[in-house]
Amino acid sequence: MTTLANPARAPLLERVNAVIRRIIGAPDFSAYLRHQSVRHPNCTPLTEKEFLDEQLTARYSTPGSRCC
Amino acid sequence: MRILKALLWACVALLGAGAFGFLALQRGEHVSAGWLLTAALCTYAIAYRFYSKIIAAKIFALDPARATPAERLSDGRDFVPTNKWIVFGQHFAAIAGPGPLVGPTLAAQFGFLPGFIWIVVGVALGGAVQDCVILCASTRRDGKSLGQMAKEEIGPIAGFTALVATFGIMIILIAVLALIVVNALRSSPWGTVTLGLTIPIAIIMGLWMRYVRPGRVLETTAIGVILLVVSLYAGRWVADSPALAPLFTLSAVQLAVAIVIYGFTASVLPVWLLLAPRGYLSAFVKIGVVVALAGGIFILLPPLQMPATTRFVDGTGPLFAGKVFPFVFITIACGAISGFHALISSGTTPKLIENEKDARFIGYGAMLSESLVATLALIAACILTPGTYFAINAPAGLIGTTVESAAQAINQWGFVVSPTELTALAAKVHEASLLSRTGGAPSLAVGMANIFAKVLGGEGSMALWYHFAIMFEALFILTTLDAGTRVGRFMLQDLGKHIWAPFGRVSWYPAVLMSSALVVGSWGYFLYQGVTDPLGGVNLLWPIFGISNQLLAAIALCVGTTVIIKMGKAKYSFITIIPLTWLAIVTLTAGWQKIFSPDVKLGFLSHATSLAATVAGGALPAGANTAGDAARMIFNDRLDAAVVAVFMISVMVILIDSALLWSRVIRGTVPCVSTEVPFTARAVPAQS
Repeated sequence: MTTLANPARAPLLERVNAVIRRIIGAPDFSAYLRHQSVRHPNCTPLTEKEFLDEQLTARYSTPGSRCC
Repeated sequence: MRILKALLWACVALLGAGAFGFLALQRGEHVSAGWLLTAALCTYAIAYRFYSKIIAAKIFALDPARATPAERLSDGRDFVPTNKWIVFGQHFAAIAGPGPLVGPTLAAQFGFLPGFIWIVVGVALGGAVQDCVILCASTRRDGKSLGQMAKEEIGPIAGFTALVATFGIMIILIAVLALIVVNALRSSPWGTVTLGLTIPIAIIMGLWMRYVRPGRVLETTAIGVILLVVSLYAGRWVADSPALAPLFTLSAVQLAVAIVIYGFTASVLPVWLLLAPRGYLSAFVKIGVVVALAGGIFILLPPLQMPATTRFVDGTGPLFAGKVFPFVFITIACGAISGFHALISSGTTPKLIENEKDARFIGYGAMLSESLVATLALIAACILTPGTYFAINAPAGLIGTTVESAAQAINQWGFVVSPTELTALAAKVHEASLLSRTGGAPSLAVGMANIFAKVLGGEGSMALWYHFAIMFEALFILTTLDAGTRVGRFMLQDLGKHIWAPFGRVSWYPAVLMSSALVVGSWGYFLYQGVTDPLGGVNLLWPIFGISNQLLAAIALCVGTTVIIKMGKAKYSFITIIPLTWLAIVTLTAGWQKIFSPDVKLGFLSHATSLAATVAGGALPAGANTAGDAARMIFNDRLDAAVVAVFMISVMVILIDSALLWSRVIRGTVPCVSTEVPFTARAVPAQS
């Protein structure tokens, strides 16, 4: 869990991975888990599948994530 | 140190001015692309350093100590404080669609200079200003959308107009983009198979990320890219097979029907299955190709074959009718100023900004980069000889359907091209014919293939590079098309629920199917109209798209001006009023000409009248086989005139609505209150 708690300590490959994912617009599940563990330690976070569904549905239902 | 810096900026300014001067004054010789790039890059540097500072320092006074919505509302989902380079990357990937590639290619019919000047000057004073102002305004308002800001800052009329305009521009945008794909793939089994295979590839990726390796986006996308290369070779294999090739040699109407079915299916399938993996693939390929194109052009600095201006500035151009003013400003929207960006700048991006100061780099900087992409596309289109360029882009109604008739017509326009040259070029890219592939994608693909083949692979690889470029453009366009259809469906459901509540239920299948069918039917109608148009359809649809996109920009700039005036910074409101005034002049002039021009190639109404006169004379107009066809063509002209009129009225409504409010705020009858979220100091968080 150390890599989750502190992104700066994650291996290089994982950090590159996270950067590219953000740029191509993929939801970042580990960032979400990190956020939950710090801000809402007592709540059960969504599973990865639930999180992805929620994020993708939102992304593809409003204008504002893609252009002409 | 100060003197050194001033000297350095003076040098940049001189260099840029010198390059512009050279471009304006050179005669006869082929200009190197290096001059365009120098002029563009120097202008971008000066604009960023000095002009964007007015927005950042004087107007918004961006403050690194102020907490951003990403920090205050951090939820690990949408609001995530993110490094500025990453936000820049994702913002750029979101704003750079097919628009900046297609518009400049079409505008090259005027020569390279008019389009180039508009791309560079337009972005510095217009497009980048709009993106940056909206991004700052939205960041100060918890990431509110353009529609919400229009409603809250100006009033409900402006809010409603923004909503309808967004929907309208989406429909026209999708129709014209689909038309470009149709014209690129018509009678091209290689292109059709390659693009067709991207659909199963995306579905395989979707299933893989869902069931086999959940969440492995990058690895899956890498597999997808490899499969794309395989599909490129598969396309060639099919095109070479005498048994299979005819099956995939589709007519324009067949392709249009296929795209309509695709759009409908994509809009009702779960997002994870098709849209999301396709989006990742497209973003990945997009950034790769843009970087490769920039690299190729910077290495080769190819000479431009297109003259600085052509005779078509007089309005008789074969790609689309209309004089250089106002039509170059309508044709190139994305790359100079694009209203659509205001939706991104008030959508995903403001929720990611970690430090307010980054808004200048992201809002203004990313738009400058998009302008550079537009410049590169213009260069790629202008390295073709004008004869080749017009053979690929002029409609069959003007140049006929054989290489001989095309060469003859183009020679009459004063550009040299021989039938053998055209046959040889088509053979080189492994196509039966390249004539009249209106829409810009194929001529850009030929230009890109020229550049790529020179850097890597040589002449023999032209066919592969050409089809790679076509696949890239079409992949990219279909991504906008399917996502746009889905977003359009949600917007329609949202509007429709006020009339009939169950229509708004997003997971109720009858409502989903109905709204999807309505959206697809709307753009499908315009697409069909374009596909069956003897003048190629682009002449018809692209100007309407340009007008609608600039209308959205006008709305965004009205919102920006209102925000600035309400902050009590009216003396700096020139920054949004300059581009707003220009856009109002341009859209209203272009709209007026599209509706009322007596030139039948330009004005919808005069075209309808001339069709009616032909029918009344007992003949059938070109492109019509029955009296019913002719009646439909007349109806379409009037419909298009009505669509443009609606856009024009919307511009005027929102301008008047805003101007009244500004004068009230300045005269003091309406209190000058900023609606910004009050200042909160940034906590330096333990971690994000």
